[in-house]
Amino acid sequence: MQFEDFINWLNGIPGWLYDVLVWWFNAIWWWINLLWDSIVIIWASMFGNAEVLAYWFKAIVFPGLVFILLGIIFTVWATRKTWGRIQGRRGPYNLGKYGGLQLFADAIKLIGKESIIPKGAKRWMYRFLPSFLLVIVLLPFVFIPWDTDWVIVDLSVSLVLIFAFLTAIPVISLLAGWISGSKYTIIGGFRAANNQFASEIPLVLSTVGPAMLAGSLSVLSIAQVQADSFWFIFLLPLNFVTFLISAVMSVGMVPFDAPVADSEILFGWRTEFSGIWFVMTYFAEFAEMLFYSAMMVTLFFGGFSGPAFLPGIVIFLIKLMIVMFFFIIVTSSFYRLRQDQIVSFSWKYLLPLTILNILIVMFGMAYFGLYIGG
Amino acid sequence: MKPDISDEAVELWFGPQHVAAHGWATKLTLVGDYIVECDPNAGYFHRSAEKCLEFRNFRQGALIMERLCMPEAFLAEYPYVQAVEKIAEIEVPEKAKFMRTIMMEVSRIHSIQFWWGQLAGELGLFTMVLWPWIDREYTLDAFEELTGSRHAVTYSTPGGVKYDFTDEFLRRLDLAIYHLENHLGKFKDMILKSPTFKARAQNVGLFSTKEALKLGLSGPNIRACDYPMDLRKDAHDPNLKYDQVDWEVPVLVSEEHGSGMCDAYDRMIQRFNEVDVALQIIRGLLPQVPEGPIIDPKVRAKTNRLPAGEAYGRVEGARGISTLWLKTTDKAQTPYRAKIRGPCFNSYYALKHLMPGLRFADFVLVFGSLDPYVGWWDR
Repeated sequence: MQFEDFINWLNGIPGWLYDVLVWWFNAIWWWINLLWDSIVIIWASMFGNAEVLAYWFKAIVFPGLVFILLGIIFTVWATRKTWGRIQGRRGPYNLGKYGGLQLFADAIKLIGKESIIPKGAKRWMYRFLPSFLLVIVLLPFVFIPWDTDWVIVDLSVSLVLIFAFLTAIPVISLLAGWISGSKYTIIGGFRAANNQFASEIPLVLSTVGPAMLAGSLSVLSIAQVQADSFWFIFLLPLNFVTFLISAVMSVGMVPFDAPVADSEILFGWRTEFSGIWFVMTYFAEFAEMLFYSAMMVTLFFGGFSGPAFLPGIVIFLIKLMIVMFFFIIVTSSFYRLRQDQIVSFSWKYLLPLTILNILIVMFGMAYFGLYIGG
Repeated sequence: MKPDISDEAVELWFGPQHVAAHGWATKLTLVGDYIVECDPNAGYFHRSAEKCLEFRNFRQGALIMERLCMPEAFLAEYPYVQAVEKIAEIEVPEKAKFMRTIMMEVSRIHSIQFWWGQLAGELGLFTMVLWPWIDREYTLDAFEELTGSRHAVTYSTPGGVKYDFTDEFLRRLDLAIYHLENHLGKFKDMILKSPTFKARAQNVGLFSTKEALKLGLSGPNIRACDYPMDLRKDAHDPNLKYDQVDWEVPVLVSEEHGSGMCDAYDRMIQRFNEVDVALQIIRGLLPQVPEGPIIDPKVRAKTNRLPAGEAYGRVEGARGISTLWLKTTDKAQTPYRAKIRGPCFNSYYALKHLMPGLRFADFVLVFGSLDPYVGWWDR
């Protein structure tokens, strides 16, 4: 009797082995199906319909990544040529007609250089931070309304999210100065954080005026409201001036470039970055400049509103170039202020003016019914 | 230093490899943003000028001297020439005396144009670096027409000068002066009325006449304190023609601090005054240049071998008083010993007393306002 059970059990082993194999096969097949289904879902969501495809086009080609990078290159070129003419020289003129290819040559040369990481620096942060900085600087560009339908993302609180991104930049500068492992860079990093302390509040408060008048925190709505009525520059000229000055301070350009004062602290928190990391920090500075110019056009100059025979994007670009010209003139006319003078100037003069402006807008809205937006 | 702050003190070498350190290494001790101690260190630019002079004959020595301070090349080479002329007891033709004086004042202007650019660069405004330097190009064109080279001119030589004024040179000199004068008003606006320059430079680097005399400062740095120390008037040199023009020593009574004190802002105003006086001297002397030879070849031959002697040559340079003491042995072709004293030695060591209490960012400004040039003290 026992021997029969034993034979029966032995008989069942191949069947059992077969079942185990079937189980394994089913498990693997289940995972493969899962993978395939998720690929199918992602593919469908990315390229499924025309709307999504248009979104990808806007995000990457125009007015997205490629357009912004070409815009940064144009900004650097325009700045260098205009600074050159103000200073009595020509700016780059050798490569390309009017020196247009100079930036590409500079970038290629710098990328090809040896990337030196100082011994006292933290290696992986050193490699990571400049790219991180460039990504964070490029992110707010998704909200800028280049034209009514050429905005990548339109959130109802995009103004707040923009400043959330921009506030991170001086923190990254401080960190970059810290991890570079040199006393000069630490001083530069702390000065960058000090610049943020001086400039962020007037900067953010300067945008409260246009937001209140338009009745919305979405940058696209602010631009659209100005298309239907007057540009806010005529109603809020003082606000424009304080925004311009706080923007120059926030970017860290002359006269507020104590964080990168090259006669005192060599190049501040950017000193040790060489090669490709220098390209990223250099482009990040001009990307910020382009971004603040685009913000000024959107908030004060009506964005894409203008004569009807020109497409909105062309009007935006013309206004952008005019505002950038102001930026360039301000950054080449004043001596560098000392760090404590920057802070005292900002808190004693800039902040009260900004608050005064908000009060004027509030009284205008409350007592004169100046309510433009919906 | 008190023991409790030495924990927070950070030692920073504003070292030789620094964009704005001009080749000096200064050890700064910082507490927060304030400088507590400033320890100047010389020597990174030492080129053994004094030893090199012992291997050059009496006509080559001026080349070493002018390379000590290139912006004021005509002024830098003069002490050597004066010392050799005193030992050799040789006469200089009248025309050469006028020409030397004129070119020394043009060199003073050139040095100040260079300094405007340098100081603006240290303060971060590249526009005001290039605007004076554009005018400086016209001055350098004039130098090139006269001597063949823009910076390393070798103009004075014992016994006279080497090159004559040509019509082309006079035309270029007029053009250089025209450009300079045309822009002086604009520079005054851009610098003296700029609110950021006032914010940076006022009440920074303040010292009194007494402190300046103790530190050994000379030249525009002490004349800005309303103290008329000027070798051009104090020590009458028969080989120069400063007495043929009616001019006053440029001093400054500071608006904010009164007579006897000056800060970096006043030193900037003082240098505008210096340019005015230099232009006055040039304009007064140019019509008076006589005809005649510029050097006597026999006299020049006498400078091959000099008798034994000692002499002291000095000049009121653009940065202060530069001197040279020369000792020769009998019938030697080269000096036995030359000792050079430059004004920037004192300016730099003055920082040891001026800097504590100021902020880190003021270092370049005080340093720059004293008009440093590394060749004068590292020699």
